[in-house]
Amino acid sequence: MIKIPTKIMLVDDEKDFVEMLSLRLKEVGEKVTPAHSGQECLEKLENNNIDVVILDIKMPGMDGIETLKEIKKRFPLVEVIMLTGHGATETAVEGMKTGAFDYLLKPADFTDLSAKLEAARKRKEDQEERIRTAESKLLLRKVGGF
Amino acid sequence: MVENIGAYIKNMVNANNISVLLVDDEKDFRQTIAKRLKKRGISAEQAGTGEECLAILAEKSADVVVLDVKMPGMGGIETLHKIKEKYLKTEIILLTGHAATSDGVEGIKLGAFDYLTKPIELEHLVGKIKQAFNKIQHEEEKVKDSEFRANMEQQMIATERLASLGTLSAGVAHEINNPLAIINESAGWMRLVLKREEMSDIPSRQDLEMALGKIEKGVDRARRITHQMLETVRTNDSVSAEVNISELVDEALELVGKQIKDNDIEIIRKFDTSLNIWSDPYQLRQVLINLLTNAIHAVGTGGKITIILETTDTELTLTIRDSGQGIPKENLEKIFEPFFSTKNPGEGTGLGLFVTRNIIDKLGGKIYVKSQVGHGTEFSIKLKEKIYHD
Repeated sequence: MIKIPTKIMLVDDEKDFVEMLSLRLKEVGEKVTPAHSGQECLEKLENNNIDVVILDIKMPGMDGIETLKEIKKRFPLVEVIMLTGHGATETAVEGMKTGAFDYLLKPADFTDLSAKLEAARKRKEDQEERIRTAESKLLLRKVGGF
Repeated sequence: MVENIGAYIKNMVNANNISVLLVDDEKDFRQTIAKRLKKRGISAEQAGTGEECLAILAEKSADVVVLDVKMPGMGGIETLHKIKEKYLKTEIILLTGHAATSDGVEGIKLGAFDYLTKPIELEHLVGKIKQAFNKIQHEEEKVKDSEFRANMEQQMIATERLASLGTLSAGVAHEINNPLAIINESAGWMRLVLKREEMSDIPSRQDLEMALGKIEKGVDRARRITHQMLETVRTNDSVSAEVNISELVDEALELVGKQIKDNDIEIIRKFDTSLNIWSDPYQLRQVLINLLTNAIHAVGTGGKITIILETTDTELTLTIRDSGQGIPKENLEKIFEPFFSTKNPGEGTGLGLFVTRNIIDKLGGKIYVKSQVGHGTEFSIKLKEKIYHD
């Protein structure tokens, strides 16, 4: 079975963590773009086609929630999975209310993470599919209008 | 005025409970007084000498001793001395001769409650006895009050200590989770590398896999601890919802279902009603899981766990009783402390009951434990909630 790679951006100020999880995700066939701050994440989203952002909640400077809000404003179709080292699940819940797909506690179980990544990618795909269908309908109607 | 009447009535009522010992060498005098006291609801024991008085007190304590100063043998003052040495709570009323008020004054200095001069008026005596008894009661209340205060203070100190400990441990847990995540991903990646084709027949492969397994298990163990530590300080994200206790128990049982099945444990439910309450379902479920997990560990294979739900209009009691080995008395006080565990390393975090009690505190309830070594343990949660019966 050929796996469809998920285009992931991994955002965490812990460089070692980003490095090792990237390696791991790449090894199982995903495409990973690393970022080490909220700012870097937003910049890289401009030029990269990303399905899912794995986003650390607690980062210096622009924190996870701020970054999330900005992502959802500028790239509404990109799915976000929040990552928290803190028991502050209320932040994670707030994140989900702001539009995050789900959250995970650090250290995360890889099977859990994989399942959530897959589900997030699926949701994005479905959404894009619906948009395409709607667009083509719109196009047909316009054409029919002539 | 109203207060006085109240006090008067109180004295009336209490008179029956006062134990009085009447000590006088004149038998007729003693008996007359005793008879007349009895008419007023005070029953008095009698003693003819100081020695006899002490012998009676050794058998049965008295609230008030009415003590004649002039007695052959051991005199009143000496007897007073001896009584005060041994029975601090006993109050003494001295009876002095007509011309011997100095005896009475000396007696008060030595700790007598008061003195009356013979011939005595019975009303005076009854009044004095009641006053002395009131003093005893007052002292007792004072002791109880200060004990209560000391207890409260201790509890407050403990609560504060636990609160700051909670904040600290949450901070520590958070700081540990990050490096733990790095270890976790590194080990996970190594495992993936080992699966590569070019690695299929490297030497010592089994050793590497074994070591990786140990790292993963270690990470898992540390993660359980840090996540539970973080549980303890989760305060703001509590929700309130209508919870059906029966369904909640079902849910919790399902989550520990595998352990129950594997160990062939019998679950008995005794619910007097099906009911809904307003509370935090997630936190309550966590409590149930913690208590059930402990019970499962305690009973071992083929054991029995009983879950009992009892209700009044304002309170529900949920009891989880196991047929396990019980908790020794010396451990019973420590089980709610963080990191106290009698399980093998890696099996328990020592945080389960600590977290449980914190949650119950937060929900405004109480948790009680009863245990008998060799017979089992019983944890009861009492929640004051408005009960909605189905």
